[in-house]
Amino acid sequence: MAIRTHLPRLRPLSKRIALPILRPYHSYDHPPPPGPFTPTESSILSAAIPHIPSHGFTHTTLSLGTKDAGYIDASTNLFPNGTFSLVHYHLYTQRLALAKHEHILSPALKEREKVPGVGWKVKALTWERLMANREIIHRWQEALAFMAQPSHMPTAISELSSLSDEIWFLSGDTSVDTSWYMKRASLSAIYAATELFMTTDKSPDFIDTREFLNRRFKDVQIVGGTMGNVAQWAGFTAHAGLNVLRSKGVRI
Amino acid sequence: MALYACSKRASYLVAHLPVYDFLAPSLLQAPRASHQIRRLNVTKRCFTAAGSSGNQSTSPSQPSRTPKSGPDAASNPAPLNKPLTQAQRDFLTSALRVNQAGELAATLIYTAQTPPIVSSHPHLRPLMKHMYDQEAAHFSTFNSLMAKHRIRPTAMYPVWTLAASALGWGTAIMGREAAMACTEAVETEIGGHYNGQVRVLLEMAEQMEKDGEEIGGELRELIDTIRRIRDEELEHLDHAVENDAKQAVPYELLTGVIRAGCRGAIWVSERV
Repeated sequence: MAIRTHLPRLRPLSKRIALPILRPYHSYDHPPPPGPFTPTESSILSAAIPHIPSHGFTHTTLSLGTKDAGYIDASTNLFPNGTFSLVHYHLYTQRLALAKHEHILSPALKEREKVPGVGWKVKALTWERLMANREIIHRWQEALAFMAQPSHMPTAISELSSLSDEIWFLSGDTSVDTSWYMKRASLSAIYAATELFMTTDKSPDFIDTREFLNRRFKDVQIVGGTMGNVAQWAGFTAHAGLNVLRSKGVRI
Repeated sequence: MALYACSKRASYLVAHLPVYDFLAPSLLQAPRASHQIRRLNVTKRCFTAAGSSGNQSTSPSQPSRTPKSGPDAASNPAPLNKPLTQAQRDFLTSALRVNQAGELAATLIYTAQTPPIVSSHPHLRPLMKHMYDQEAAHFSTFNSLMAKHRIRPTAMYPVWTLAASALGWGTAIMGREAAMACTEAVETEIGGHYNGQVRVLLEMAEQMEKDGEEIGGELRELIDTIRRIRDEELEHLDHAVENDAKQAVPYELLTGVIRAGCRGAIWVSERV
């Protein structure tokens, strides 16, 4: 009730057009809002996850999950999206699990060791996230097929962008200008490409995937560095030209 | 001379801070004027008292987070700590985003105005530097708040960069009066905009207080920050008027166009 009376005053500033506010205010004083899954759904889905390697992203897995969690078979009706909920739950929990990698986020430094930079942390966290798919990678193409369906695409894309936002935030990146978009877009592209590559990788310990990932990061660094240099040169030239004119007495 | 006037003004501001709350309705033409403001002031005083009950020496903006003990705890049960509602988070998100965009534009306007103005009117150098320094400080404040609270910057960032530089340079070329009229128009809009934000934030805090929720140091600090910044922006407005902003040649047209542009930019930045 209190919220309802409060809403009209707050409404004018919030979105009215289609663009959703993707990154809402993250509070440190208040607990985070509830996630996309209710406790019942979470218990069923987390019980179903161990069955994925043997049964894949199928209805069988979901039924086995409800049985293991102690619910009747009909409880699978809780999930209007069916087996896509399994995919979504995996994406969601693995994204939140990134915050637990203490050895990357605040590594114990030995003497005369450099503090690892943002770039190093981004690479390490991306690799950890890929490794979270390790157990189910032989079934992951099924999940990718689900994510590519038009009705599930919005959720999949928003999960991907949340993932890259999470990685940049955890790595301690504080840029809040146009590069904010560049960074998230390039990391999303790298992650999606590497994930796809990993589904066909048969090398021991995913060495090929690791090399693929490193090559992609190097590409982005070269492109980003070149663009930065060109922008710096253009800015410098424009400034110098302006100052030459000013020194000639032109009033600009 | 200008600097002396500034410091005198600053000390006046510090001494009479609440006075500026009463400017709110006149700037916004809000129908629900004075009783609203008075009520908000009362709220502020009472949550200040609640915040510093644990430790008298802490400032109201940094309330102590230590658990209360003894009779204090018996009379005041620990406040609930609920998640912010969707509407509250949406409001905070768009508010911080638009503030960052505004301060970006302000720093760029002053950066672009300074060389032409200073070369023709060297006595304005300290004033321009003072105003620029304050805007730069506001910009970095909002940048760090954005990064801390994980808010997406506006997608129009490059557009605002270009538009603000062009506006600053263009008005500076038109002369001192036009540049000051530009400052006046921009700061009027910004002052009103910050006032609106402070009002909604205080209402939000009051509502949370009434529901027995914990407001938290973050929100209190945010309210104090926006208030301080608003007062500094209104100070720039006074400087502009003192420097003959009203004598700009197409005064009505110039300020009208700039103010409409500001409102449009605010509207867009709140959304994308």
